[in-house]
Amino acid sequence: MAHKLDVLGLFDNEYRDDGFRTCSVTGLEVHRSVDNHVKLFGLTAVVALLYGGIFAFTVAMTRWEVIGLLDAADFYTHLSLHAWNLLIFWMVFMEIAILYVGGPMVLGRRLPFTKVAKAGWLVMAAGAVLVNYAIWTTEAPNEAPLLTAYVPMPISPLFYAGAIVFILGTVVAALPFFATMWYEKREHPDKTLPLVSFAAFVTSIIAVEALVGGLVAFVPTLLWRLEMIQWWDAAWYRQMYWIIGHGTQQINLVAMIAVWYFLTHVVAGAEVVSEKVSRTAFILYLFFINLGAAHHLLSDPAVSTGWRIWNTSYAFYGATFASLIHAFAIPAGIEAGRRKRGKGGGLFGWLTSAPWSNPVFSSTIFSIILFGFLGGITGVMMGQLQLNMTWHNTFATVGHFHGTVVLGTTVAFMGLVFFVIRTMFMRQYISERLASIQPFFYSAAMGVAVLMMMYVGILYGIPRRTAEVVENIPGTEFSLSAASPLFAIFGIFALLAIAGGVLFVLVAVGSLVFGDRVENGADNADLVADGGLGMAQDPDDPVHAYEMRGTFVLCLVFLAAFVITYLLNWYLLTQLWSIGA
Amino acid sequence: MTPHSDDATASPLESVTRAIARAWRDLLSVYYANTPIWRLFKSVGLLFFGFFCWTASSLVLSYGIEWTILEYTRAYGFVLILWGPLTHAVIVPLVIRLRRTADRPLVRAIARNGSKINLSIFLAIVLILGTAPVSPMLLDFQSPLQSDSGSDVNPDLSCTRADGEISCTLSETEGIDSVVVTSGESQIARVEDPPYDVTFREDDLESVVGQKEFVVELRDEDDETLRRYRRSVSSVPNASLEPSSGA
Repeated sequence: MAHKLDVLGLFDNEYRDDGFRTCSVTGLEVHRSVDNHVKLFGLTAVVALLYGGIFAFTVAMTRWEVIGLLDAADFYTHLSLHAWNLLIFWMVFMEIAILYVGGPMVLGRRLPFTKVAKAGWLVMAAGAVLVNYAIWTTEAPNEAPLLTAYVPMPISPLFYAGAIVFILGTVVAALPFFATMWYEKREHPDKTLPLVSFAAFVTSIIAVEALVGGLVAFVPTLLWRLEMIQWWDAAWYRQMYWIIGHGTQQINLVAMIAVWYFLTHVVAGAEVVSEKVSRTAFILYLFFINLGAAHHLLSDPAVSTGWRIWNTSYAFYGATFASLIHAFAIPAGIEAGRRKRGKGGGLFGWLTSAPWSNPVFSSTIFSIILFGFLGGITGVMMGQLQLNMTWHNTFATVGHFHGTVVLGTTVAFMGLVFFVIRTMFMRQYISERLASIQPFFYSAAMGVAVLMMMYVGILYGIPRRTAEVVENIPGTEFSLSAASPLFAIFGIFALLAIAGGVLFVLVAVGSLVFGDRVENGADNADLVADGGLGMAQDPDDPVHAYEMRGTFVLCLVFLAAFVITYLLNWYLLTQLWSIGA
Repeated sequence: MTPHSDDATASPLESVTRAIARAWRDLLSVYYANTPIWRLFKSVGLLFFGFFCWTASSLVLSYGIEWTILEYTRAYGFVLILWGPLTHAVIVPLVIRLRRTADRPLVRAIARNGSKINLSIFLAIVLILGTAPVSPMLLDFQSPLQSDSGSDVNPDLSCTRADGEISCTLSETEGIDSVVVTSGESQIARVEDPPYDVTFREDDLESVVGQKEFVVELRDEDDETLRRYRRSVSSVPNASLEPSSGA
């Protein structure tokens, strides 16, 4: 029985009398309450993606100064909208959906307190609308906040209010997930959580840390902006702000890795080669990853050198080590799982025989590869006190985080949306071919755009957040016009990447509205891993008995790229001041 | 690793030889792998690798480090950006097809040696470009955006307060056509004649978070902004004190 608001039949599936259905792809028992709320948050996330993507176009076409679309003042407004809608709203709505997948769906439970979940969605949506309104209506003496909104920059009080409302809404929306975990452990105190649920739980803890940091940063700042308090310490604001400013990106990272484990298992037959090792890596994230946010203060006053070195070297390596564990464990799980299914052959046969035409699979793999090579390596490198000096606040920084949150998180979440369309909305893709092509097209175009961002930042020192540098640095003889050819390549590939994003939205929304309905399990048979997921349960056929040499070779290549990039940057740093000369 | 059928008592030298032989065979099988996904992997992988070699070499050279080897790695990377995809998306599949279908002696010879010919051409281009680089590889274009930005306009702005009025003067005026003072949305003052000294009332300024602020903009003859100076009234010294300066 469909709800009266369900005009497109999107929230209408076949359930048994107890409200559950058995998913033909994952074999999980999925309750109506989980289905509907994952759909609600997922759809909202896609709306934010579409809206933020519009500003990707205006921002990229401004940075490509041959086009020079916007004036400097408008550029900040558009850049702020681009950042808040894509980095925050698209991702956080999606992450709440991931919590509901990783919690009640994987555990085969109903979502408790559905009214709280709906209230959380309402408050989040209200906060998002308020932030968008505040940025869009920015006028002097207020400035557009960008993402950072540093005190004492005067910014509309509505912006801070919107951000606070959104943060509170997110905490409320996460409560049903925590309740699920509580009930699960009360009912099965001796049973270990499945790995994906464990990953979602770690994500949620890191999320709460980040969100509390956000409240600590934004609430006093709102009071200062309303002139209820006289003065606010800029250094203190920055340190508190980055708990959420980079903390949210750590949520993206951990949620993304949970998605990697989940989707590679379901569509490629990956198995977990060592539960203990993978869980240990998540625990390392829990302790260390939020400390990495300190790298934003490496060029700022007010914190000691010891504090900087501890947070961005020793502590952050705990998180790096965890990422390197996942970098081996996930491909190794795919390799061993596929060899077990007789899909190996040679060094890389397990990879080349994989279901590449399935966009769920290809999105996930591209996310793993591109996040590692482009986002991960540069992040560890530039998050270090010394190397940061050559990267800080250049366009290369923008390249780095487009490597992580676009090529990594966004591509993985796109894969998840493709998966949800087929298994929850029960719709066939409107065009199999376009759906298959989209991850290849988007990842390749965005990959080149990201490389160009890094290159102009490192080679020419092009600054970030600036509308005009190549064509015109007002009143100076200093010229960066040599960078214009690279900006041309950047501009063209940014346009292609945006076209890839548009293609994703068209396929996703088109499939929901016009796609044929999946009537029974057989229609989704192409999504199921070779041999089904039951093979993973066979105690007489352990996964570690299978070879993982292909993964080993790939990891050596990754390590070589890491080491060369690291050494190269250190070498260039020594050349800046001719140390010892 | 699983054990394989090699003789476990082989000498270290034999083991190394076998490992090298196996690695060579693996390399050959990867080079000739011809499924669509392999073609894509190799093409994109080499494109990225080429880009990495080209950019990293250019970057090191840009720091004034003059190692000859870098000129060749730069050329290698630059050529590989195009040649990697060309080799694995076009030439290798073509060679494999010709080996099956070629019936004329010349075509058969080309098919048999196609990869050698291709690699030889590739390496020759790399050597030539390493020795005599072309301008696109060096990013050495005369940019169409090259603007005649003229002289460096960067004077010191000194402001003082007295009797509810603020006065500002510039240390230099070359290249400036007008000076505009704004506060919030409104324009407070505009001066179009040298020496561009400007005076305005504190009461006209807008207050933001308890601070009265103003912005002084220097503009050129096209009314384009050359420099902006943001000042808060509390930081402007009284006329009896030393004037503040600097951007």
